[in-house]
Amino acid sequence: METYVDATGVDTAATTTTETMGKQNKKKLNVMVAMDESKNSFYALEWAVEHLRDVISAEPETDQPGGLLTLVHVHPTYLQYIYPSGGTASAVYATDSVPESMKKAREESTAKLFTRSLEICRGKMVKTETMILEGDPKEMICQAVEQTHVDLLVVGSRGLGMIKRAFLGSVSDYCAQHAKCPILIVRPPRETSTTSK
Amino acid sequence: MATSGEEKPVMIVGIDESEQSTYALEWTLDRFFAPYAPNFPFKLIIVHAKPNAVASVGLAGPGTAEVVPYVDADLKHTAVKVIEKAKGLCQTKSVHGAMIEVFEGDARNVLCEVVDKHHASLLVVGSHGYGAIKRAVLGSVSDYCAHHAHCSVMIVKKPKIKV
Repeated sequence: METYVDATGVDTAATTTTETMGKQNKKKLNVMVAMDESKNSFYALEWAVEHLRDVISAEPETDQPGGLLTLVHVHPTYLQYIYPSGGTASAVYATDSVPESMKKAREESTAKLFTRSLEICRGKMVKTETMILEGDPKEMICQAVEQTHVDLLVVGSRGLGMIKRAFLGSVSDYCAQHAKCPILIVRPPRETSTTSK
Repeated sequence: MATSGEEKPVMIVGIDESEQSTYALEWTLDRFFAPYAPNFPFKLIIVHAKPNAVASVGLAGPGTAEVVPYVDADLKHTAVKVIEKAKGLCQTKSVHGAMIEVFEGDARNVLCEVVDKHHASLLVVGSHGYGAIKRAVLGSVSDYCAHHAHCSVMIVKKPKIKV
């Protein structure tokens, strides 16, 4: 049965001991991590795996099934490639599809990205899935959250200042405002040197 | 790299008197603390920022000096209620050992300072879910913290009931 925690009170089914309450509420979290090639999102994944491992991983002793860690990567689509033609300045050509070579290059880089990510998740007893989407990153991530009903969305943050943020746009900002689930924004570490490299 | 007992990462939850804050605290306790008693994965610190009375009164007219004590008393009252509610929630979820702190000042600065003071790993705040205009006018603490805190920030929103 679903124990949905609503704002007004504790679920009524677990009344007696704290142990039963603990067991019933011990649903592990389904966490989604948004990835791109930037260093910050890898750092976000590492941070998430380290700190959230307890709330995601399965516990064989208590037969508690683990939650799911979903890594989502969004390809920004370039809907049109507009090539200004050489001679006449006004005529432009638009192509509908991404040229084959670009597609291949993109697939390779995505494969590399996921390989790296799965390396980070390996050995942490966390069930991991990957998801590739295409489109505008901010919107696709929010849509993915809605469709998969995850409990938590994790994004990295480039740590842009206010002005850059206004011009370059910020996926983490957009998701913080529009995602339908709690969002965790992992900020880049202050110092450049860390223990693990 | 397992965290030993003394070196638990610190989680700070910022609360005010709004429902969204209560929801955020409850959600956090439910997901991160209640199931793991007594070995919680984080050390929990609950922080309430009591607004400064003079700052809240703002640009009032001639009667400001008289109003301030009343506003101050009211704010103190609210702060006490907030703390009691937080304590009650912790009790209900059997989460012991949480520290509760109250500071005076603007919530944004208070939360960022507390993060620095405790070298927190994670700051949790609720969100009013304001639209763009309200956000611009009223300001958003969760936005500010997400950009300025020196640790990761988790924003917990109360889900809107969809019909």
